Amino acid sequence: MSVRQSDVMKEAPCTNQSLSNYLWDDAPDENKWADCVHCGMCLESCPTYEQTGQEQHSPRGRVHLIKSVAEGKLEVNEQFMDPVNQCLDCRACTTACPADVDVGGLIEEARGQIRQAMPLKGWKGRLSKFFLEDLFPHHNRLHTFGGVLKFYQKSGMQKLVRHTGLINVMPNHLVEMESIMPEVKVPVRQKFKDEKVIKAKKEEKGTVAFLTGCIMDVMFSDINESTINVLTHNGNNVTIPEQQTCCGALHVHAGDRKTGRKLAKQNIEAFKDADKVIVNAAGCGCMIKDYPELFREDPEWKEKAEEFSAKVEDVSKYLHDTGYEKPRSEINTRLTYHDACHLAHGQGIREEPRNILLDIPGVEMVHMPNADRCCGSAGIYNITNPEMAGAVLESKMQNVPDDVEMISMGNPGCMLQMAIGARKYGRNQKVVHTIQLLDWAYQKDAQSEQGRGDD
Amino acid sequence: MPKLKTKDKHIKKLAEIVKGPNSILYLKEDLLAYDCDGFTIHKHLPKAVVFPKDTEEVAAIVKYCDANNLPFLARGAGTGLSGGAIPLNGEVIISLVRMKRLISVDTENRRAVVEPGFVNLKLTNSISDRGYYYAPDPSSQYCCTIGGNVAENAGGAHCLKYGVTTNHILGLEVVLPNGEIIEISSDGIPDAPGYDLLGILTGSEGTLGIVTKITVRILKNPEEKQTVLAYFDKVSDGSHAVSDIISAGIVPAALEMMDKIAIEAVEAAAFPVGHPKDIEALLLIEVDGVSAGIDEQINQILEVCKRRNVREVKVAQDEQERGRWWANRKTGFGAMGAISPDYLVQDGVIPRSKLPEVLGRINQISEEFGLRIANIFHAGDGNLHPLVLFDAKKPGDTDKALKAGSACLKVCADVGGSITGEHGVGIEKKEEMRFIFSDEEIMAQTNVREVFNPNNLLNAGKLFPTPGRCIEMKSDVNEPLSS
Ligand SMILES: Cc1cc2nc3c(=O)[nH]c(=O)nc-3n(C[C@H](O)[C@H](O)[C@H](O)COP(=O)(O)OP(=O)(O)OC[C@H]3O[C@@H](n4cnc5c(N)ncnc54)[C@H](O)[C@@H]3O)c2cc1C
Ligand code: SF4
Ligand code: SF4
Repeated sequence: MSVRQSDVMKEAPCTNQSLSNYLWDDAPDENKWADCVHCGMCLESCPTYEQTGQEQHSPRGRVHLIKSVAEGKLEVNEQFMDPVNQCLDCRACTTACPADVDVGGLIEEARGQIRQAMPLKGWKGRLSKFFLEDLFPHHNRLHTFGGVLKFYQKSGMQKLVRHTGLINVMPNHLVEMESIMPEVKVPVRQKFKDEKVIKAKKEEKGTVAFLTGCIMDVMFSDINESTINVLTHNGNNVTIPEQQTCCGALHVHAGDRKTGRKLAKQNIEAFKDADKVIVNAAGCGCMIKDYPELFREDPEWKEKAEEFSAKVEDVSKYLHDTGYEKPRSEINTRLTYHDACHLAHGQGIREEPRNILLDIPGVEMVHMPNADRCCGSAGIYNITNPEMAGAVLESKMQNVPDDVEMISMGNPGCMLQMAIGARKYGRNQKVVHTIQLLDWAYQKDAQSEQGRGDD
Repeated sequence: MPKLKTKDKHIKKLAEIVKGPNSILYLKEDLLAYDCDGFTIHKHLPKAVVFPKDTEEVAAIVKYCDANNLPFLARGAGTGLSGGAIPLNGEVIISLVRMKRLISVDTENRRAVVEPGFVNLKLTNSISDRGYYYAPDPSSQYCCTIGGNVAENAGGAHCLKYGVTTNHILGLEVVLPNGEIIEISSDGIPDAPGYDLLGILTGSEGTLGIVTKITVRILKNPEEKQTVLAYFDKVSDGSHAVSDIISAGIVPAALEMMDKIAIEAVEAAAFPVGHPKDIEALLLIEVDGVSAGIDEQINQILEVCKRRNVREVKVAQDEQERGRWWANRKTGFGAMGAISPDYLVQDGVIPRSKLPEVLGRINQISEEFGLRIANIFHAGDGNLHPLVLFDAKKPGDTDKALKAGSACLKVCADVGGSITGEHGVGIEKKEEMRFIFSDEEIMAQTNVREVFNPNNLLNAGKLFPTPGRCIEMKSDVNEPLSS
């Protein structure tokens, strides 16, 4: 036997399922890693590889480690957890990979195993539990939380905290977050509580159901209002199904697939009667389009999930596909556009939002290099992995052109993170959602029409 | 320094040498990501991976390894396809990826200086606004490092007209296997008198020294560029068209061919462009240069294609279309993942005229082994990439794939060609070196290696067949070379 043959025998990959060190259901899917040919074309797309230069923090390395656990070469332990949890879930590797390997899917499945093998501990665990289990899935508690935030902002507490030095004892990244917290307004779910259908303002095209998002509706209810305005302005009736809940993205990113499935089922039921489901948060959109992945082992719900996700559309894509009125009023501003990972890499939406912006008179768009590079927000990643998130944010901010007044994007998570970035690096850009700009232009149109009417 | 979770004294010492944060990996879970490169058939864990930040750290690591008899090797992006960066002997891997600065650009003298971990495409991206580019463009250019390109003497689609890496290297800084730092032609003046050390080091597959700084030639962007895509019903028509284009006196910047299975793969993968599924071959042809004369060349090319019974031929209408065609071609290897769990890419060179014959024989090999073989071909310079598709999970498949791959190389050697065009020999093709070199010729080369790498601690077991009788014959020259 030649040297090479004996080497091959020794190295023959293990296929015996019993060797797998994944002990729970819903384990990482062999078919996903089978597509990976180890070519390395994904390396440079990965922000964590860019930061560390280490291959266990690259898509190829992560896939290799995940596969190695199934082959019995590794165990699900702390050391394995590190590279898997450092992944930003940004899906840039999915865009780069010639073989279409679903690295993100594998990571999430692996996190599901980690979560069960090593339940969360310490302050990170408590924090995650608070957000993921006790807060996000509960619409009413979120409102209360929003109320507390509002109280915090309005009552002078915020000032007090900022001025008394109390802020100095908060962990750094929470301080950063506190500093850019948007002013809390009335959630649209509350505002339109009594309206079954929010009527189209022009000739009716159809009816769409709107996923308001959980935290989005509390922290960014003005964006939700803009979204409703823009939709109704363009002939869409809008419904806000009452039973809808948090999309589950944060839970699934954190490996809590069980809660993810529970929330998915609730949403699938809530939107049963809708023909179109419109989302304005890229992260939520990407998640709910991915629901079928959660039900790999449950054919009945998988089918329902597939039916549901086929109806989901990001608001920018929906407007692009169904047509929208070009505003006439000018919004004179120089801006740049940031591709939210879950819009560009997750849903392949790049040109539609840019075209919307360019259709607004007076908008001048400045190119941002590496516009589709992650900003480091990634759900609650900036809370659980502050160091990496900070490094990724720094390199993102270096790409933001100096001479723009606004940074536009299609995801609230990114908006928070980029606002932190702008503040931290002494930049004065305003961070806006693409749809807000369109809404503002429409509002200006309305004002000038009214002005004319008054003459 | 954070506390190390090991008692190994070498690891502790190495950790003292590389000072940056997280600059050494030594736990199995981390090391696993380094057990192979783009060639996945052999795997072995390294002893450790170190991430030096400058030449001095590289030299200190090398000195330490040399003094303590620890095998070591260099690694860039690990996209190599012949196993050059696989730590067969449990090496200490010296990863150069954190040495990734663009040190200087000198457009007046048309050269740039980079660190070895600088990614190939980033060079072009960094100088394109000044109207310059770096010509060697391996398909892996999005990720592979220029250090790795030097080691493998990488080629690419556009090397037909502009030459491979070695034609673009003007100077090197190298850490020799004893830790000594030398500069070769550091002033970047080409054709210095004396032996061509740049030539010896370029393409030496990381067995003679570790490259820590590279002076490269940069070129002015061509005034104009045109790209043609041609579909053929018969491979023979396609390959005759290739010969006709070259004999018409045209030197295209690139002249690429894909066969039916390759087309199936790229169309099933991430960057499809809508090629018909039932053609036997496609050609992707690019001409560039001063604007005057480009149209004429394009017309000649279209003429040739028509004469050779082309089914459809078109010229890219804009930069986007050209970009799509190239993305489709350049991701060709990875695309195999879309139609097969594993692939083994071979890298033979053949006289262009022999293509139909060679493809016929590869077809026979495919049938004989019961494995599908796709072909991607730098047709202009006769560099053929048969991609053997297999499933490592099926018992015996891997072995069959290796044998089929070897048989393909034998065919290339038999028709007067060679066993590697650009991917290097590495582990993969070291036995096949015997197809083209006699024992004496191989020994002459290992003698050269001994001049640089006398203890053979640097990347041992690569490039040359496991020695038979060569080993007893020691070279006279034992002194390592100095500048
Ligand atoms: C999808 C795909 C397409 C490819 N297409 C092409 C192509 O078109 N043309 C082509 O030529 N190749 C191609 N390759 C092969 C590969 O990309 C090249 O060989 C490349 O030059 C390797 O660079 P790397 O940084 O990945 O080096 P690595 O794989 O890390 O190392 C390769 C070898 O170089 C040595 N080495 C690395 N850095 C140094 C250094 N600084 N000093 C000394 N030795 C060093 C290593 O020890 C090893 O032996 C392709 C690979 C893939 C996966
Ligand atoms: S994930 Fe895709 S790009 Fe990355 S190594 Fe695997 S096949 Fe290549
Ligand atoms: S999802 Fe993002 S961070 Fe995770 S492996 Fe892919 S590119 Fe890297």
